[in-house]
Amino acid sequence: MEGEPRRIENPERITTYFRLEKWTLAVITVTGIFYNAGMTAGPWFEGQLAQRLVDIIAGKKTFSDMVLLALLYAAVIFAVQTMRYVKRLFVRRFANHINRDMKQILYRSLVHKKKEELEKESVGAMMTRAISDVDVCVEGMRKFTTEIFDTGVVMAAYLVMLFFYDWRLTLLSLCFPPAAYFIAEKLKKTVSRCAAESKESAGHLNEATLDRVGNALTYRVYGQDENRNADYEVCLADYEKKAVRANIWETAMQPLYQIISMMGAVFILWFGGKNVLGSGWTSWDIAAFTTFLSCFAKLAAKSSKAAKLFNAVQKAQVSWKRIQPFMQETEPEEEAAAGKPARLQVSGLSFSYPGGAPVFQEVSFLAEPGELIGVTGPVACGKSTLGRVFLKELPYQGSIRLGGRELSEMTQAEISGAVGYMGHQPELISADIEENILLGDEGNAMEYLRAVCMEEETAQMPEGIHTTVGTAGMRLSGGQQARIALARTLCHRKPLIILDDPFSAVDRKTEEEIMNNLRKLAQGSTILLLTHRLTFFPELNQVIWMDDGRVIVSCHEELMNSHADYARLYRMQEKGGESHEA
Amino acid sequence: MKRRSPVFSSALTTIREHPVLFAGLLFAIAGAITTGILPPLVLEALINRLTEGKAFSLFPVFAYFFLLTASGLFDASKESLITIFGQKITRGLRHEMCAKLSRLPAAYFQKNESGVTASRFVNDVDTVEALFASGIIGMAADFCKVISILAVIFVKSRGLGILLMLAAPLLFALTRLFQKRMLSAQLVNRAAVGLANNHVPETIKNIRMIRSFHKESFMEKKYGNYIRQSYRAVEKANFYDAVYSPIVITISAVFIAVMMIFAAKGGNFQVFFGMSAGTAVAVIAYVGKVFEPLESIGMEIQNIQSAVAGVCRINEFLREEERDVPQNEMELPKEISSQPDSSCVSGDESSCPGSNFPAAELVNVSFGYDSGQEILHDVTLTVMPGDNVTLVGRTGAGKSTVFKLLLGMYRPWSGRIRIFGTDADQIPDGQKRKLFGYVEQTFPTIPGTIADQITLKSPDISGQQTKKALETAGLWETVNAMEKGIDTLYHPGLFSQGQLQLLSIARAIAAEPAILLLDEITANLDSVTEEKVLAALKRASEKRTVISISHRLYLQEGGRRFRVDGKKGGGESEDMIN
Repeated sequence: MEGEPRRIENPERITTYFRLEKWTLAVITVTGIFYNAGMTAGPWFEGQLAQRLVDIIAGKKTFSDMVLLALLYAAVIFAVQTMRYVKRLFVRRFANHINRDMKQILYRSLVHKKKEELEKESVGAMMTRAISDVDVCVEGMRKFTTEIFDTGVVMAAYLVMLFFYDWRLTLLSLCFPPAAYFIAEKLKKTVSRCAAESKESAGHLNEATLDRVGNALTYRVYGQDENRNADYEVCLADYEKKAVRANIWETAMQPLYQIISMMGAVFILWFGGKNVLGSGWTSWDIAAFTTFLSCFAKLAAKSSKAAKLFNAVQKAQVSWKRIQPFMQETEPEEEAAAGKPARLQVSGLSFSYPGGAPVFQEVSFLAEPGELIGVTGPVACGKSTLGRVFLKELPYQGSIRLGGRELSEMTQAEISGAVGYMGHQPELISADIEENILLGDEGNAMEYLRAVCMEEETAQMPEGIHTTVGTAGMRLSGGQQARIALARTLCHRKPLIILDDPFSAVDRKTEEEIMNNLRKLAQGSTILLLTHRLTFFPELNQVIWMDDGRVIVSCHEELMNSHADYARLYRMQEKGGESHEA
Repeated sequence: MKRRSPVFSSALTTIREHPVLFAGLLFAIAGAITTGILPPLVLEALINRLTEGKAFSLFPVFAYFFLLTASGLFDASKESLITIFGQKITRGLRHEMCAKLSRLPAAYFQKNESGVTASRFVNDVDTVEALFASGIIGMAADFCKVISILAVIFVKSRGLGILLMLAAPLLFALTRLFQKRMLSAQLVNRAAVGLANNHVPETIKNIRMIRSFHKESFMEKKYGNYIRQSYRAVEKANFYDAVYSPIVITISAVFIAVMMIFAAKGGNFQVFFGMSAGTAVAVIAYVGKVFEPLESIGMEIQNIQSAVAGVCRINEFLREEERDVPQNEMELPKEISSQPDSSCVSGDESSCPGSNFPAAELVNVSFGYDSGQEILHDVTLTVMPGDNVTLVGRTGAGKSTVFKLLLGMYRPWSGRIRIFGTDADQIPDGQKRKLFGYVEQTFPTIPGTIADQITLKSPDISGQQTKKALETAGLWETVNAMEKGIDTLYHPGLFSQGQLQLLSIARAIAAEPAILLLDEITANLDSVTEEKVLAALKRASEKRTVISISHRLYLQEGGRRFRVDGKKGGGESEDMIN
């Protein structure tokens, strides 16, 4: 149970989860039946106790009879309640297991999605919601399991007992609980509509909260605190109104249903009293009278709760419907072993987004292990897209061969083993610096921090390398985030490394140091440097110039001679850079 | 130093604000208790007549039913009023928490993850709702019920009354023990749930990294750890939850057994426990009723305890140290407050009579975010209206920090920071937009339309101003070409990186601020886009004081440079007029 999360077959079927928990359910069934059948023991014993008191006062029974009965009563109740304890514990355990399993399956299917998939039709947001839906769904399953026994079995037990005492009176007094149930059924539409409205309003409130908190500093810097607080108040007012309405429909109706159910008590008192007096349908003693009345009261209370059971089940169904589409088990994954240095062979590579014009066409180049290739061009020239093609997120035309193997024929694990990627976004996780670099692997993170010129800065932090970076690295500066991302890429070195704008937030001197370390650390790897900073381009093995879909593979000197745009860009930066250094 | 729980005071305020509602609630509770307690007494009379073999009238039968009905109606109104009340309290709480956001120092937002803070607003306050709806008020009502039932039992059977009173403290001690055990489990669970909830959106954000490093199973294990932490805590809490109610019911059965034994004993016990069959039935019903509220407390322990954990966290939040919220309106320089377009030629002070003060000024400023970690040391810088200053220095030297200080987000350790003569942290938030336009390195978008991105939903910025800002930023054409124009709903991917920077410029200049703060504005762009952005910035900078951060490339005309270098100690300024 501990350790590795387990894999589950047919996660898209709700019955799977019941089957997985069959032993837990078996315990629940046994204890549940004993407990609920035992529930009738209470009223029965209480009737007997009263009767025995009458008999003792009348001199028909002795004190020791009472002691025996009272002790038996206490013992039976103890046994029944022990069953109840076991049942309650296992029902909760059952819910707890399912909650854990469902969340893990959802998460597993989430973490194996591609970026495009998550962005499409806000799948990411839907999955986030699905994960929170698990709580509601499991709560419904728990209630369902509980109530099968606590309502189903116990009601049957009570009914049997009532019919045993006086079937005519039972029929008469039981006209009313169905009436209560009927009314509850009629009102269900209103109840669920109000519940839905309240939930929707709660959703708006949550969004408003995230916005208010998440952008608090932005709003403050722009002096919008008061406006935003006023808007938030509007959301609060709406939520209050709708939540009150929904809650009243759900809770305040319960006592009213119970009144209707309890109308039968009038008949029981009247005709039951006649039974005791000997003028009724059957002959009763005091024990029968009190047992019957107390059984009926418990039955009425239960039946008014039956409607609640259906509500819980319905809520669970709605939640399950939202969860179900994401319940897919993923294939067990292979380990991604870092590949060996390999030759990169790109020929006739073209790419276009689905339904869009080609971003670039017919790119061909050859890179030996250890080569450094710069890729640059004006805005939206497609260099970032070129970098992402190597992640195989979307299909490409043409050929990319790494060590002779076509990229499109490699598995995800193989690609991960062959291609290292650092994008625009640092994509840090909320963990400490060390974990962000090692990502669970063994290694010396400090070494890589040194390579990206962050060793000293890290050492000065209060908790050093174990300083947590915060959500999306927000406790660090942009430059620090980018350098940690770079350190992470270096730590997980691959034969082909794609660096998209790695030096955007560092100054030139730091860039130079990092660049030198990069050469040393990444020996044997082919590096694709996508950048608009051309400082190092004269030293690179090849330069790829991209402009408006046209791609030229060349080197710095030639481009300086043949491409005015490139030359202009380079000179402009050289000038800017020099004056900066002054 | 024991301050009263802010959550509690907030609830008290709500009570004070709705006296009629509260009175109605008290009345409903009193009614529910009284009508709830009477039916067994009617039953007692009826049974006593039956044991004597006497006939009875319809009156007690209907009295019994009437009392049940009344009790049901009182219960229904009690439940409704508790709900209304619970909602009022949580609304009040959320209102106060929202107001608190405005009073928190900037450091709070830097240190605390927004998801965690938001979960205090959402999840923790929700538990308070549960606490009030089915907790505290209901429990108080149940407590009164217990007392009145005990009183009736005392009258009917003094011996049993005494027994129950002796047992009550023991039961209370047991309940407390369970509550404490569950509280600690709940705290662990809440923390784990918070971490797990944070992990999901983070995964979505970082999915490309996870995929390309093939770290799916690493992330899955991390998630699994959070879930397991929560699982273990819930399992522990479940034990106490499951065992409490059976214990209470068993104890009540033992009491009934003891009572019946003593009642049957006769002799001296007869005085204490003696009763008729009718009384026995009534008292059995009452013993059940005494434990009923205790049992319902057992049922709600879980809710109440998780609410207590939530309340602790809300209290913690509401007790966070606050900043001094500037109250006094600052006197704005004339050219800002009156006519933003009035001619104020850069650096030419004589034509700007209102600007006797420097636009921005740092005097011997030392500062760091954490004590003992100084970032700026003794920095002095004066920026006159219309100046154009670029801050230069190595990564991490504290350039962005200077901006944050100028914006009044932090107070310096020593030295002073003044904006047009007023201390930066004394400028009211409402006036900041007239003073500063802040272009951040990344553009924080908000939910809403494109127009909302620029106005930040401020009603003070007209459509005309929005349009003008977009025009200056050079983005009007692009936006106008969209089907819904500026009312297009913003979503990630709508704009390119460069366009986002233009949008960021539009946001900064929409309210015609006097000072423009540009943070590493061109860092993420290629040279061509950079030129576009620079052109927009040039337009935006006209007639403004501009302070910018750039590592390189920003070739300003007529500006000067200021080197920020915290480590070397001196904020030596090397003005270099190009």
